[in-house]
Amino acid sequence: MTFSSSYLFSLTTFIYLGAAALYLIHWIFRVQKVGLMATVVTSGGLVIQTVGIGLRWIESYQLGYGHAPLSNLYESLVFFSWITVVVYLIIEWQVKRRVIGAFATPFASLAMAYASFSPNIEDKIQPLIPALKSNWLIAHVVTCFLGYASFAVACGLGIMYLFKNRFSGASEGIVGVMPDCRILDELIHQTIVFGFLWLTLGIITGAVWANDAWGTYWSWDPKETWSLITWFVYATALHARFVRGWAGRRIAYLAIVGFVSVMFTYFGVNFLLSGLHSYGSQ
Amino acid sequence: MKASSPTYQHTSIWRFFSSVRLAVFLLIALAITSIVGTVIPQGESLQFYLETFGPNFFRIIKVLQLHDTYHSWWYLILLGLFSTNLVVCTLRRLPFTFKLFRRDNLSVDSARLLKMPFKKDWEIKEELDNDSTQSIISAFKKVAGKFHETADVDGGRLFLAERGKWSYWGVYGLHGSILIIFFGALVGLFLGFKGSVMLPEGETIDHIVNRQTGEHIPLGFSVRCNRFNISFYDNGAPKEYRSDLTVLNDDKEVFHKSIVVNDPMKYRGVTFYQASYRAIPEVTVQIAKSETPQSSLTISAFQKALWPEEQLSFGLMQYQPSVHGRPAAQIWVGDQEGRAGNFWLLKGNEKEFQWGENLYKISLSNAKQRYLTGLQVKKDPGVWIVWLGCTVLIVGFAVVFWVPHRRMWLWIGRRKDKTTVILSGQTNKNKLQFEKDIRKIEEALNSSLGVRQ
Repeated sequence: MTFSSSYLFSLTTFIYLGAAALYLIHWIFRVQKVGLMATVVTSGGLVIQTVGIGLRWIESYQLGYGHAPLSNLYESLVFFSWITVVVYLIIEWQVKRRVIGAFATPFASLAMAYASFSPNIEDKIQPLIPALKSNWLIAHVVTCFLGYASFAVACGLGIMYLFKNRFSGASEGIVGVMPDCRILDELIHQTIVFGFLWLTLGIITGAVWANDAWGTYWSWDPKETWSLITWFVYATALHARFVRGWAGRRIAYLAIVGFVSVMFTYFGVNFLLSGLHSYGSQ
Repeated sequence: MKASSPTYQHTSIWRFFSSVRLAVFLLIALAITSIVGTVIPQGESLQFYLETFGPNFFRIIKVLQLHDTYHSWWYLILLGLFSTNLVVCTLRRLPFTFKLFRRDNLSVDSARLLKMPFKKDWEIKEELDNDSTQSIISAFKKVAGKFHETADVDGGRLFLAERGKWSYWGVYGLHGSILIIFFGALVGLFLGFKGSVMLPEGETIDHIVNRQTGEHIPLGFSVRCNRFNISFYDNGAPKEYRSDLTVLNDDKEVFHKSIVVNDPMKYRGVTFYQASYRAIPEVTVQIAKSETPQSSLTISAFQKALWPEEQLSFGLMQYQPSVHGRPAAQIWVGDQEGRAGNFWLLKGNEKEFQWGENLYKISLSNAKQRYLTGLQVKKDPGVWIVWLGCTVLIVGFAVVFWVPHRRMWLWIGRRKDKTTVILSGQTNKNKLQFEKDIRKIEEALNSSLGVRQ
């Protein structure tokens, strides 16, 4: 019982919370060693979480249900946290700036903490209801969550940008260690482009699946509509770059507004509105 | 997109529809207004809105058609403007793109090459011999790839390696794909239908009911439901809904498929989806007129069953699975003259009843659930156009953001009385990778020219 997926996920929760704290310490006190530690701890957490996800998959087969661990809110939160860490670590590796971690890893740790500690979230492995039994389940969830994770990171970068922009005079201190506004702006843009592609693929795989399951590829269900609203927000961000005066601060704001829309698509629709995606709220 | 061709004198309307500002405005407007339909329940009866929202807000709902937001006049106007904006933007950009595409990148001079974002030049004291020239060219070719050459540019030889020029067309694919998807949706709307049917086990239909209008739509063939089955997991959650369907053409069985959720049946462009089910009770009674032999009669809910020998009809009014531990049914009886009556039957108790001059004996022999399978039925000849649009959308997106137009130039000639080699380049995307590549050529040229770093 000790070496079960839920044990590994609890462990992951604490590791990610620790990693987020380390990134914050690295940023605020500018200790290089702590930054390296944060990366090592995050990577270790990722390995444990990956094993946990694999184990949960195996456990579902042992229970006789046999499905990928992507079928309810608990599993989706674990996956969201996992993929956010993956996207962040790729960016860290590419850009080589650990300060970004202080703004990205909190999303992953919050998702895990919410999944682990909220009394309203069922963490048992449940069998798949008939509507979810489809090969499109994995493709749809993975594409959507790659989008969500990228937007989470873009939001973190947006917050960083506004922070940096506000105190642009400071070349030292906690603002000084942040990447340049110009670099942040470009990073936000790149991350949004990446997320937008996955969100689009997520919407398309969802449409193909809906066409197979319900006979209509678009039914203006609240989840669909909110994913489209999110899509419009990020499409705005991409087009706004062509209009003068829409770079920098406005794009940073759009990255934050877009992520609020993502969060509403993810949670708000499940809890506040009713619709075809209601199984996501259990 | 802000660049416009100066040779075009556009009217202000044209300019309004072709502006990116309008595109940004429309995207924001669509994002905000789309929220309405997720907050106000859609597709309910008008009565519902009057009761829920009160008379004042009800008036607004009615005028703005907020009960069907995404098909309301103002939402369709927004989508129409959006499409117009896409088309006009495309038309306005086309000549500009043509110019970019047709531009001959070999017609540059050495001075312009030195103004490119990436450049490096070498001045050499002595003349270059043939071997060193060749080694410079092959070093260039190794990284830059296939190239074109013109002699006598500014008194030197110019080489151009160009890649991804076609990527300028990607944006048209990306934007056109939205129009393709809209077109596919319209094809489905006008040439297809959506309907549903509740089909009892063992029965056949040759038409379905339109979801919106309630009209009957003939299928041109018949479908029979042989069996409906639900299975459950150990914890009681439903595991599978399965309908066994047979297609009949002129009473001949032509096609068979067992459908479940996520695995529909397709026949002649019409698709049948497992959508819902209903269970209705069905009882079997043994009935006899005093001395005659018994007959067996099966009575389903919502249907009359005729006992042909006596011209009596029976119906099931109520069914209780357990009365004192036994199933019970309230049976309705009627005859040709319009007389009717009813009584309760408890399993195991034979009942006698008088009808006209005859005495009948009736008993409940069996009771079970009979299933009706709920099928969504759809014909959508536009769905392939929509998938085509989605594919073009993704490919177009990848081209717009990740396929760069790269140009690398190499010029070898005489400048200011000195033998000069110029390496320069320009790209519109992924500058980092481009810089790496051009540095590679630079290093190779350094060693070919014998320059120490």
